[in-house]
Amino acid sequence: METVIQTHQLMKTFKDVQVIEPLDFTLRQGEICALIGRNGAGKSTIFKMLSGQLIPTSGEIRLFGKTGNAAGEMRGRMGFLVETPAFFPNFTAVQNLEYYRLQRGIVEKKRVREVLGIVGLAHEKRKKFREYSMGMKQRLGIALCLLSHPDCLVLDEPINGLDVEGIREIRNLLVRLNEEQQITIFISSHILAELHMLATRFVFLKDGAIVEDVSKETLQTKSRKQLVVAMDDSATAARLLEQAYPDIDYRVLPDGVLAIHNHIDQSGDINRLLLTNGVSVTEFRVEARNLEEYFLGLVGGEPA
Amino acid sequence: MMNYMKSEQYRLLRKKSLHLTSLVCLALIAAAAAVLAYFQRTDPTFPYGTASFYYSNLLGGTVLVLIVIFLFNSSLTGRDTDVLKNAVSFGIRRSTIYWSKLLLTLGYFLIISVVGVALMIALGETMLATDSGSVRNFLTALGNMAPIALSAFFFIHSMKMMKVGDVYVFIVLLVVYGFSGYLLRIGAQKLDAFRTLYDYAPDTLLGQNMMAFMGQTVQFNAACWVTGVILSAAAIVIGVTKFSKQTID
Repeated sequence: METVIQTHQLMKTFKDVQVIEPLDFTLRQGEICALIGRNGAGKSTIFKMLSGQLIPTSGEIRLFGKTGNAAGEMRGRMGFLVETPAFFPNFTAVQNLEYYRLQRGIVEKKRVREVLGIVGLAHEKRKKFREYSMGMKQRLGIALCLLSHPDCLVLDEPINGLDVEGIREIRNLLVRLNEEQQITIFISSHILAELHMLATRFVFLKDGAIVEDVSKETLQTKSRKQLVVAMDDSATAARLLEQAYPDIDYRVLPDGVLAIHNHIDQSGDINRLLLTNGVSVTEFRVEARNLEEYFLGLVGGEPA
Repeated sequence: MMNYMKSEQYRLLRKKSLHLTSLVCLALIAAAAAVLAYFQRTDPTFPYGTASFYYSNLLGGTVLVLIVIFLFNSSLTGRDTDVLKNAVSFGIRRSTIYWSKLLLTLGYFLIISVVGVALMIALGETMLATDSGSVRNFLTALGNMAPIALSAFFFIHSMKMMKVGDVYVFIVLLVVYGFSGYLLRIGAQKLDAFRTLYDYAPDTLLGQNMMAFMGQTVQFNAACWVTGVILSAAAIVIGVTKFSKQTID
């Protein structure tokens, strides 16, 4: 599988403040990778270095296996939407995209109308960009990314300002592009539930460094539903559970708390089993961590 | 580079403000000729109804020329520079962006300049009192002024690409093209080396050119070209170097 993006010891400092720690990262063709981090964690800085807007302080960026000026040329195979979409305010959507069609040397004139149709802006013929809502601006930004049939999309907060229907449309579009055209997607958003539905890989960023890089499967395992039981005698409880349910899957957490991952639908029987055998249960609850809670657990913070 | 220039040309041709600026410039040229011709006809003692005086307004109007150059250059380097991030992320080289914008705005400026000068000569020679050498003198003086004006164009372009604020751009222009000779003359009182620099300062040369034109003694002045070429080269080197490392967002 082709390597789309590869960074080696990529670093950025602003006036002696290191905003991106030496970063080693690889994105392969077909992945949908979510970059997750708080405001100021360095997400946009990474995207800007990839797009060429920012010159890295040190390190190397490889795009489709190429470095230096050749990597710059490889950006032609990518579509970038970094921070707010920027267009000419007095131009319509068609005029703006026509400008970029000429700039990228795309021969097919109809491509402008095609991408506007894909993002749901085909009917906005006379409206100028300055009159657009935030959601419409985002759609036009995505249309620009799609203009030249890219192999990879790098999208920084692409669903900002979109309504619920718009978010769903963009999500479905990205999934479709990934599945049907094998377009690689590197995306960030603060709407973690959306990323959870979309991404196949999750990279968590804290203070300019990657703190975790996991696949969707691993993340699901780590954040799956569990029965949390706190009691006075966890050893006895564990023995009783192993006898009653030979296939039981559990972990012993700090303070002797048991986290049980299967037989959750039999929680009433488990509670009865422990009580009838003299184990004093002080806490008994079913919990499941979503991506937001998992993220906050990683970077430190309270769920909203 | 051709694709980038095509896209910028697409934008340039749709800039209403640029076309308006061009029309206003040409209208001012015509209005000045009309006013001088009117006073010449109504007042026989009016001393300024001559083609030479009419032409001297361009040669002596350094500040006005700088403003026009600024407006033309800003048509592709103005407030719309935040869209540059799109071009950079498409893999277009920064040097391509710098040169394409420069060549297009310069080309448009030169076309309007040629039209404007042709209009001036046509109006001056038909509506105002002329003498035999006024056109030749005017063109010679323009030839001396051109390299210095072009260097101002390059300076403005580089500063705009470096996102220098408009006020600072004007301050730099006024210092270099308006007061550099004056400042160097003060310096020459303490250090002799400034004396040579003073001779090559843009405002010294523009002033001399204007006086020579009015005295009908104007000739090709190599010093104007030396100064123009040095300033142009400096502006371009600084602009290309700084823009290649600049953060674009």
